[in-house]
Amino acid sequence: MRIMERATGMEEGKAGLRAGNDVPVERPAQRSGARPVSRRREGEMAEVAAKARRRAFLADRMARLGIWSLSALALSVVALVLGVILWNGLGTALSPSFLFGKPEAMREGGGIWPMVVSSFYLAALTLLMVIPLGVGAAVYMSEYAGEGRLTRLVRFGADSLSAVPSVVFGIFGMVVFVIYLDLGYSLLAGALTLTLLNLPTVMRSAEEAIRSVPVSLREAALALGCTRWETVKKAVLPVAMPGITTGAILCVGRIVGESAAVIYTVGLFVRKVPWSPLRPAAPMAANIWHMYTEGALVPDWFRVASGEAAFLLLLVLILNLAARSVAAAVRKRMGYRV
Amino acid sequence: MSSIDREWLIRRILLVAAMVVVVGLAMVVYFVAKESLPAFREAGPANLFSATWSPRDGRYGMLVFLVGTLTTAAGGLLLGTPLALSLALFLTQVAPRRSRALFARGVEILAGIPSIVLGWLGFTVLVPWIRKLSGSSGSGILAASIILAVMVMPTITAISKDALEAVPASYAQASLAVGATRWQTIWRVLLPAARPGILAAVILGMGRAVGETMAVAMVIGPASVFPTSLTTPTHTLTTKILMEMGESTGVQRSSLFAMGLVLLLLAMALVLLVRRVSRGREAYKVVE
Repeated sequence: MRIMERATGMEEGKAGLRAGNDVPVERPAQRSGARPVSRRREGEMAEVAAKARRRAFLADRMARLGIWSLSALALSVVALVLGVILWNGLGTALSPSFLFGKPEAMREGGGIWPMVVSSFYLAALTLLMVIPLGVGAAVYMSEYAGEGRLTRLVRFGADSLSAVPSVVFGIFGMVVFVIYLDLGYSLLAGALTLTLLNLPTVMRSAEEAIRSVPVSLREAALALGCTRWETVKKAVLPVAMPGITTGAILCVGRIVGESAAVIYTVGLFVRKVPWSPLRPAAPMAANIWHMYTEGALVPDWFRVASGEAAFLLLLVLILNLAARSVAAAVRKRMGYRV
Repeated sequence: MSSIDREWLIRRILLVAAMVVVVGLAMVVYFVAKESLPAFREAGPANLFSATWSPRDGRYGMLVFLVGTLTTAAGGLLLGTPLALSLALFLTQVAPRRSRALFARGVEILAGIPSIVLGWLGFTVLVPWIRKLSGSSGSGILAASIILAVMVMPTITAISKDALEAVPASYAQASLAVGATRWQTIWRVLLPAARPGILAAVILGMGRAVGETMAVAMVIGPASVFPTSLTTPTHTLTTKILMEMGESTGVQRSSLFAMGLVLLLLAMALVLLVRRVSRGREAYKVVE
C-alpha cells in the first residue's frame, strides 16, 4: 500500500539494527533481490537509521512546539479582542443612562436606546420573513427534491448568495427596495435586504436539523398513513425545531451585527424610538459607523461608539450561549443529535 | 380540498421557497448590472479599469481599489492561514481531548464577532499601535491585513478541522503502525489526504476577505491612491463603494455599481472554484 511506503525507511533500519547488535539474523525474505550484505554495511545502515529516527523525533518535537505556540497565539488573539473591547466599553455599556437614554446630537451624555430598539425591531422583522422561507426551502431540499439540475441550481444560488459582499447587498437593497419600490429608508427595506442576505445560512442550518431527524421517525409516520406533508409537519419538523431555533438565534446575532447592508437601506441616525417599519431607524451597528464618520458632532462620540461596540459584543456572546444551551438542553431531553 | 390536492399545492409552495435564493441572486446580478450600465456606456471599460480615479476629470478607474482588495486579502490570508491551520491541527490532533470543545468554542465566538466591532478595535487599538511603531499614519494595508487575518481565521479553522476529521482514522493508524512519528503522520499522510478540504477552506477564507467591508473601512485610511507602503492609506473595492455611494450621482454612482458588479462576479467565480477543488475531496476515499 502506498501509505506504508511513505512512512520512514524503518524496515531496513530495524533489520540493520539487529545486525549491528551482533545477533544472528536471517536474511529478511521480503527484501527483493537480496544480495548478501556485509556486517559493516549493516552497521552503516543501523547508523543511518538511528540518525533518521533522531531527526524524526526532533522534527516531531519542533512541530509540536510550533503548533502549540501558533495555536496559543491564535487563541490569545480571541482573548485579546474580547478583553479590549469589553474593557474599553463595558462600563458605559452597562450603565442604565446609556442603555436606556436618548441620543444627544450636540451635547455629551447621550444614550443609545433607540438604537437598541432599532436593532431588535430589524431582527424581528427579518426573522419573520427569513424563517418561513428558509425552513420551507430546507424542507423542499431535504424531503421533496431529487438530485437533479434544479437541486444543483438551488445549491449554487445559495452558495453564491452567501459569498456576495454585504455592501453589494446594501446597494442592491437601496436600488430595489428604497428607490424602486419606494419604501424609502426604512426598517422594512432593511429587513427585506437582510432576508436575502441570511437566507442561505438559515437554509443550511434548517436543512442540517431536518436531515438529522432519524429516518425511522419518518418511516413510522408513513407507515401510519401520513402523507408526505403530514409527515413533515407532525413528525419531522417538531424534532428538528430545536436545531432550527439554534439557527434562528445565531441569525439574530448576525443581523444585529450587520452594518454595511443596513446603512444604505435603513438609515444611520434617528432621535426617536422607531415605531413604524416604514420609517428610518438606526440599528447599533450602523450607528457605530455613523459615530466613526460623523461623530464629531457629538463631543463624546468615542465613548458612545465604544459603549455600543461593547454592548453589541456582549449581546452576540449571550446569543451564542443561548443557542448552545438550547441545543444542549434538547439533546439531553431527546437523545437525538441536534 | 382533498389531501392529494393539498399535497400538490404544498409541494409547489415549497418549491417556490427554494427558488427564492436563485431568483434573489438573479435579481441582485440584474439590478447591479443595470445600474452600472451608464458607466460602461459613458466612461467605457478602458476608463473603468484604468488606474486613475478622478471623477472631476471624468476618470473612473477602479484599478487602485482592485489592487487594494487583492493585496489586503492576500495579506490577510498570508497571516491568517498558518494560524488557522495550526489551530485546526491543534484541535484535532494535539490538544488534550477534554479541552478540545472549550477551544473550539473560543474559535466559534471569534466567528460571531460583528465585523464593525472588530473594525472599531482596529481603529482604537491597532492603528495607534502601528502608528507608534512605524511613525506613519498607521492605517493602510498592514492594519487591514491584520484585521482580515483575524476575521478569516475562524472560517479556515472550522472547515480545515472538518476536512482533517473526515480523513479515515485508518490512514493515521496505518502510518503510526509502521513507526512514523506524530508529525510525520500529520505531514505526510493527514495533510495530503485533507488537501482538497483545506484548499476549499482557504478559498472560502479568501472570499470572506475580499467581501469584508466594515472592518477594513475603519483601518484603511482611506485614500483613493495606490499605497506607497504598507502603512499608507488606500482603498479597497468594498470600502470605496461603502464610503462614496451616499454622495455620488450620475456616472460616478454608476461606476461604483460597476465595482459592485466586479465583486459579484468575483464571488461567483470563487464559489465555482471551491466546487472544482472540493470535487477532489472524494479522491482519497479508500475502499476498505
